[in-house]
Amino acid sequence: MRLPGRGRATPWLFLAPALLLFALFKFLPMWRAVEMSFHEVRPYLGDRWVGGANYTQVVTDEAFLAAIGHTVVLAIGQTGGSVLLGLVLALLLEGTARRLWIIRTAVFLPTVTAMAVVAEVWRILYHPAADGAVNTLLGWLGVGPSQFLNDPDSALWSVMAVGVWRGAPYDMMIFLAALAGVDRTLYEAAAADGAGVPRRLWHVTLPALRPAFTILFTLAAIRSLRVFTEIFLLTNGGPDGSTEVLMTLIYKLGLERNELGVAAAGSMVLLAASVTLTLAVRLARTGTGKGATR
Amino acid sequence: MHRRAASTTLAASLAALLALTTLTACGGDSGADASGGGDDKAPLEIWVRKPPGSPTEKTHKDLAAAFTKATGIEAKVTALFDDFETKLQQAAAQKKLPDLIVNDTAQLGTLVKQGLVREVRKSEIQGGEQLIPSSWEAAEAADGKYYGVPFSAQTFALFVRKDWREKLGIAPPADWDQLDALAAAFTTGDPDANGKADTYGYVIPGTTKRGYLDWYFSSFLWSAGGDYFTGTGKDLKPAVDGPGALLAARRLKDQFCAAKSVVPGAVTTETTQAHPLFESGKGGIYLTGPYNMARFDKALGKDAYEILPLPAGPGGKSSVLAEGENTYLMAGSGNPKGQVKYAEFLIGAEGQTAGMAGDTAGNVVRLPVNPSVKLSAVRQDTRWQVFDKVYRESGRYSPVVKDWTPFRQASAEALNGMVADCGSHPEAVLGKLAGAFSTELEKQGAGS
Repeated sequence: MRLPGRGRATPWLFLAPALLLFALFKFLPMWRAVEMSFHEVRPYLGDRWVGGANYTQVVTDEAFLAAIGHTVVLAIGQTGGSVLLGLVLALLLEGTARRLWIIRTAVFLPTVTAMAVVAEVWRILYHPAADGAVNTLLGWLGVGPSQFLNDPDSALWSVMAVGVWRGAPYDMMIFLAALAGVDRTLYEAAAADGAGVPRRLWHVTLPALRPAFTILFTLAAIRSLRVFTEIFLLTNGGPDGSTEVLMTLIYKLGLERNELGVAAAGSMVLLAASVTLTLAVRLARTGTGKGATR
Repeated sequence: MHRRAASTTLAASLAALLALTTLTACGGDSGADASGGGDDKAPLEIWVRKPPGSPTEKTHKDLAAAFTKATGIEAKVTALFDDFETKLQQAAAQKKLPDLIVNDTAQLGTLVKQGLVREVRKSEIQGGEQLIPSSWEAAEAADGKYYGVPFSAQTFALFVRKDWREKLGIAPPADWDQLDALAAAFTTGDPDANGKADTYGYVIPGTTKRGYLDWYFSSFLWSAGGDYFTGTGKDLKPAVDGPGALLAARRLKDQFCAAKSVVPGAVTTETTQAHPLFESGKGGIYLTGPYNMARFDKALGKDAYEILPLPAGPGGKSSVLAEGENTYLMAGSGNPKGQVKYAEFLIGAEGQTAGMAGDTAGNVVRLPVNPSVKLSAVRQDTRWQVFDKVYRESGRYSPVVKDWTPFRQASAEALNGMVADCGSHPEAVLGKLAGAFSTELEKQGAGS
């Protein structure tokens, strides 16, 4: 005899292990963070309810506002830079020749290298004296030496350059995959119509890459909002707070100053920003999609 | 349609409920009460802030083994170095703290504020009354109670490239002007004779991470006649913008901006990145602790550098940051009596002598806190005597406030901003810092 509702419960039974793990490692910590954001957190003395005080501190704190500014600048710069450089690399390295695969693999290396190694290498490259590697190159051009990570005016741009250097190959791979799907006959038709390389690029390639752009912008923007490792390893937010971003500030508040409640409130603000951004992109895509079908 | 939706919701709710029930069952353990009871034979878990695999970890493990042999209580040492405090926070969040930790004295306020450590009555610690009295200052919190047992003391001295100094024909510095002149000579005089301008005077870990720049600056601040606060107890007032502090800050900034005698990159350099700058011959003057002698001996050779006390500053004296490590008895331990026994073992003659590890790199007791243990009897290396003398004559611990960490962090950030921006005004920077101190004092209920 068949039990009533058994068929409908089956998918949920299969989903249960995954739901359990998600609840354990994602939703419960998130709920705990929400709770903490309304408390002064004292693990062994008992948390003290402070209402919205942590949020007030977050949104009025000068350091937080500066960190939000740096995060946005970094997000825009790194996303734009990586996408642009990734596209250029993809166009240069598109094709099926075996040698190209070797070059692509070499270009892709920064993305798969551990951030700790990347940071250490760039710290050496950026050595802010005339005998530093990049400064030696600048010296040949009659410029510098630059302080790079050690000057509040140049630190954020220097970190951004590392982010672009590391992120571009990842974007390149997505573009390469998208380029492989472009109908070759369109190029031939465009060439037959007398279109040169720039026109073919503008009228055939870029429209075909639109879905790839959307995915990359969404992923990169969200990734950039949560940037932490490169800043933590390269500058730790300094000098003079010029590279402080939301994540490093939250880390400092939570784990260096032990203001876990304020740090949790900061995390909630960041979560809200990420969700808003994701929804905005989704809505924009839906809007574009509707427009396209009309 | 409605029935299907209802059953779907029901199934989802059941799955979520199942998940939450399991989690609640997992999260209920809060450990034994620290106030008493417990199992006197329960094994002790000890965390030490030492690099895993290092000779210092081995010394701690040897100490634990000797303790087990003497008492029959099992003791397991875990060495953690990077992000020790982070891992401790994670353990606290899970309410599964180790039984004891051996960590920096400067962490006292933070640990007390969060209730992670339990109070220690001096009288309950056998042998506690015999310790060097000043060493107990490192375990005293703002409420006048003790929350740790001193284990090791240390202070800082100048590591100076002797070979460079002699090559340039300059005498050891006797005051700050001579010290700065030596730094300038190291920067411009090509002391390594390679024909390149690639050497500098000062090695400074100037990052804000863990408040390193303030850590470095405090000895200069005090020696210049400045201070962090005036007053005592609940009547503390910021003094970090006073004349002595301003003088020290100006000198620090001048080294970065005018003399340019600091190794480039200092404003983002932490200690692990600063040590190689001294041992690779980039900088010739480094105010640091005795624990670096072993690695510098290996990299540079013993004869290449010398250990000198920080000369007296314009304040007329030298006051050098004293710190070290305490044994903290953590909250929630299942074996409170075992905790006390372990702390007692570490301050006893056997524990202190073994912790000093002779002249090896495995020393975890830099300077003994137990006066019955004679430094010179355990260590032949006379350079240790310099640190011992500095500690006894000029050593000064961080101010006693409820939680020193926010002050140190604020100070490091202000100073970092000052030296990173050569257009900054030290008066304005210190004035703003004093304001931040005032707010923090009020927050901690320690002044206005």
